[in-house]
Amino acid sequence: MRILRLWRHPGSWTIFRLDDRLLLILIAVIVGTCSGLAAIALNRSLIAMFEWLHNFRHYWWSFIIPAVGAALSALFLDKIVKEGAGHGVPEVVYSVSRYGGLMRFRSSFSRLISSCLTIGSGGSAGPEAPVVMSGAAIGSNIAKFFFLNDRQRITIVGCGAAGAISSIFNAPIAGMVFSIEVILGEWKSVNIVPIAIASVAGTEISRILQGNQIAFSHRLFNIHHLDIVACIGLAIVSAAASLLLTRFLRSMHGVSKKAPFPIWMRAAAGGCMVGIIGIFLPIVLGEGYHSIRTMIEGAFAQGLGIVAVAAFAKILATSLTLGWGGSGGIFAPCLVIGSLAGLTYHRGLVLLWPSVPWVNEGCFALLGMAGLISGMLQAPLTGIFLIIEITGSYEVILPLIIVSVISTTLCHYIEPASFYLKELIEKGQLLRPGTDARVLSDLNVRELLEKDCISVKQNVLLRDFVNIIKKSHRNYFPVEDENTGNFLGMIHLDDIRSYLFNPLMYDAVVLGQIMDTDVEVVYLDDDLSKVLRRMDANRLFSMPVIANKKFIGMISKATLLDKYRKELMVQTGF
Amino acid sequence: MDAQLFHIFRNTPLGRETLLQSIYFCKKIGASLIIYIPEFTKFLMYFENDVVQIDLDSSYLTSPETALKHAKELLDQGKIKARFLDPKNFTASTLPDIATNFDFMCCPRSISDLSSKIGLGYIGPRVRRIVNSARFPVLITSPVFKKWRSIAVFFGGSANAINALKLGFRLSRASEMPLSVYTHMENVSRESYEEIIKNENLEEEMDRYVTEWHIFESGKFEENIYDVPHDALVVMGAYGHSLIRNIFFGGKMEKIQSTITNNLLIAGPNYTLTR
Amino acid sequence: MKLSLKDIARCLDLPASTVDRWIRQGRIPIHRSENVCIFKKSIIEKWAFNHGLPFSPLDKEKEIYKKQTLKLENLIPAMQFGGVFHGIKGDDVESVLKSAVDKVPVLPINKEGLYERLLEREALTSTGIGKGVAIPHPRAPLPEEIDNPLITTCFLEKSIDFEAIDDRPVFVMFILLSTSIKNHLHLLSRLAFCVRDDSFVKFLRTYPDSSSLLSKIADCENLLDRDDN
Repeated sequence: MRILRLWRHPGSWTIFRLDDRLLLILIAVIVGTCSGLAAIALNRSLIAMFEWLHNFRHYWWSFIIPAVGAALSALFLDKIVKEGAGHGVPEVVYSVSRYGGLMRFRSSFSRLISSCLTIGSGGSAGPEAPVVMSGAAIGSNIAKFFFLNDRQRITIVGCGAAGAISSIFNAPIAGMVFSIEVILGEWKSVNIVPIAIASVAGTEISRILQGNQIAFSHRLFNIHHLDIVACIGLAIVSAAASLLLTRFLRSMHGVSKKAPFPIWMRAAAGGCMVGIIGIFLPIVLGEGYHSIRTMIEGAFAQGLGIVAVAAFAKILATSLTLGWGGSGGIFAPCLVIGSLAGLTYHRGLVLLWPSVPWVNEGCFALLGMAGLISGMLQAPLTGIFLIIEITGSYEVILPLIIVSVISTTLCHYIEPASFYLKELIEKGQLLRPGTDARVLSDLNVRELLEKDCISVKQNVLLRDFVNIIKKSHRNYFPVEDENTGNFLGMIHLDDIRSYLFNPLMYDAVVLGQIMDTDVEVVYLDDDLSKVLRRMDANRLFSMPVIANKKFIGMISKATLLDKYRKELMVQTGF
Repeated sequence: MDAQLFHIFRNTPLGRETLLQSIYFCKKIGASLIIYIPEFTKFLMYFENDVVQIDLDSSYLTSPETALKHAKELLDQGKIKARFLDPKNFTASTLPDIATNFDFMCCPRSISDLSSKIGLGYIGPRVRRIVNSARFPVLITSPVFKKWRSIAVFFGGSANAINALKLGFRLSRASEMPLSVYTHMENVSRESYEEIIKNENLEEEMDRYVTEWHIFESGKFEENIYDVPHDALVVMGAYGHSLIRNIFFGGKMEKIQSTITNNLLIAGPNYTLTR
Repeated sequence: MKLSLKDIARCLDLPASTVDRWIRQGRIPIHRSENVCIFKKSIIEKWAFNHGLPFSPLDKEKEIYKKQTLKLENLIPAMQFGGVFHGIKGDDVESVLKSAVDKVPVLPINKEGLYERLLEREALTSTGIGKGVAIPHPRAPLPEEIDNPLITTCFLEKSIDFEAIDDRPVFVMFILLSTSIKNHLHLLSRLAFCVRDDSFVKFLRTYPDSSSLLSKIADCENLLDRDDN
């Protein structure tokens, strides 16, 4: 029995207690494998479902299929696993920053099933965000099983996300970078090592089961100097496309919220519209990897007009699917839109300057993908590494960096928050490690309490109070009711200093008469950031803390600074 | 006592009974009451090493417009003030987080399932998970509001039973109600229990608070439980048995909760006395 | 090493709730099982050093605590230590101080230096606090020269003009030497309290001997302590 319990607590083993890096690496292998398997499971079932449903595509009623899928997925999320809609990445980041990465067990499979229903039936969404959520939840639950502490659990959650991304794209570096850049936001070797291991494990699993195939292989590109200049234009185009997608998604969300139907009906309506678009432009359906492949190979036959319309239609379809309650991420649609935008741009260039020997249009499709990913996620490194790895083309690195960086910058001007983190930033819940918001959210009022104030009763004479002052270290005296002990008000020495030296007042005044009853008070569960804001607004340096109507201590800026500094040092140290 | 009891209000007659019980509890031990009137059918509770999603059934959302009024009426009748909890953080837009830094929490026997299941011998799975992960004891109310006039602690000698005993002392001190201890002997002598008390330095408190220590040396546990007064608040510790162990061997807690209708205050395995 | 959460929090000079949270968040290399914290002392010391936090083991912690709450010495020990002398000769401030300094018992300190410092202080304003009493003292405490504060009581052979605030000639001097400002203020205020009492001054006029003076002072101090509490 004891051994059994010890086995569940590897954190307390002597070898790991002092240095847990080895432990984290071991667990990272497990987590990376599990989340890699989850990713492959989703990938396989998506392909299977898509192929099975392909048999029905030529019927006239085929536009119903995405509607049914979306409705089923919304019903599943809402009624069976009782989770909210959405792609889940904000939830992961939120739990990482506030609760040490604690996630529910059900999250480890819910998004897989719901996104499989949505995408498999033809909804325009990506499987990556759901896989990230599942991987993170798998990691969190494994960490929970082994009773790891918060810091270790956060790392393991990052491992889960990294393993999932690595596995689904066969791209270990992209998984690593994504996990650190987007999920954790903290570049530290204690994080990076286990996450790298998890990426390797996830990738290896995918290679064993699926073979080592590069997702979008192609032939070599010959890039000239002029192409690099043209990239700047492409960056602008892809930034515009990603902004368009962001705006569309948001407005669709707003519209669907107002619709007076239950969630699954909304999802069905969105799916239906996607289906109708799909009849004319089948490229918008599903996650669209196949069409990316043809585009990169330069074998996409349609002309400039059709490509431009398709890019727009894909944006519309994606926002219809996701904004109206379907389940899935934006990664894959971004890739499709990016390659369509790249293609459009290339064809436009050729039309304008037919004599210039432009590089193959596949190259521009590839760069467009990088631009879109960087613009939407505002994570340039993820964009760069992902595209290099999934296309296996190191020779495009220079234009790739240019497009990614410019696109990120442009999008950042207009949309200061990335798609994944927007929700959190709006709620003020993005608490990256080592930031002011994080330190303040970790500290709480109870830890800052100063208990050396002497409470006085309201009917005490000023004469007796003078003797109390002699013994006090503080300038503040809380006044309490004689019978109930409830807090009535504060006496600040500054306010009554002039009476203190006037013995005539000594027997004429009781404390109840000179106390300040209109004091700003703090409750134990108040947010420190709000408390600080109130202090600043009222020019206060300390405030009394009240619990259950009784005075329990003071909170002051001086103690706050001391504790804040210690907290910051401990958080940012190694 | 600067303690807080967390209560989820259900705007139904059953919920009224539960709230009455919470009000009574708070008044007796001088705790302050915190009421959450749910706006969504689910919320999350983040504990130290677990997160529990509580799915309320739709009866918790019954006529939200009268919920606040009903709750306030009950509070006025009980002449007690309460704070209404307004969740500040949301994991997802319809999924609020509820803090877990309370000293007690009040649950009906089942939070999420149909109220037809509320009866003896059944404690809902989510209530169990709260008990298992919470650092606070959970007050599981009897289906109908029942005043209690004494405290009964079940003491089996384990570490958690000692926690429960200490909790009993604390309640007895705060409520000034008589406290009696019940022990069902299991193969060991009476002295060994006294030894445990001695080792924990609880002798003095035993003398001060405990009016009677019933030690059952023979007889079936279920039959002996009849001696527990009907109007006692039963305090006990729950050991963190796994589900399988519970099914095969059955816990003391299971036997107690399936036999008596009293209000139960259960201190889970994570219950700490630090606060 | 095993310590309770409260003790480890005391060592780190932090609230227990903070340490508890840090352990939970894995920020501090301590493992907790129930209420016992398990850790290695050298590791935690290194960790505290790296993060600029103070860490003082419990016994040392107690020492610091003791130092902070060190009870300030009262008049009696200081007066016993300083001694009571009668018939100090001299016609003016300088000569009186000169002969008084000779009597101060803590030595091997440099008496010339002490004398100069007392004079320096007299030059600022007279230390004659009225009613024929003067309390000469140097401006700054003398932590290096002496270990314990002392008060040397000197009854003068004849009263001299000390330029006291009430212009009455001084007949008794309490030379006050202390180790810290805090100590100095403490003793000074106690002495002043005694002198404020007219009956005490009357008693001094009788040129009492050492033991009766000390018992009188003890009475005064008891009165003072009673008022305080």
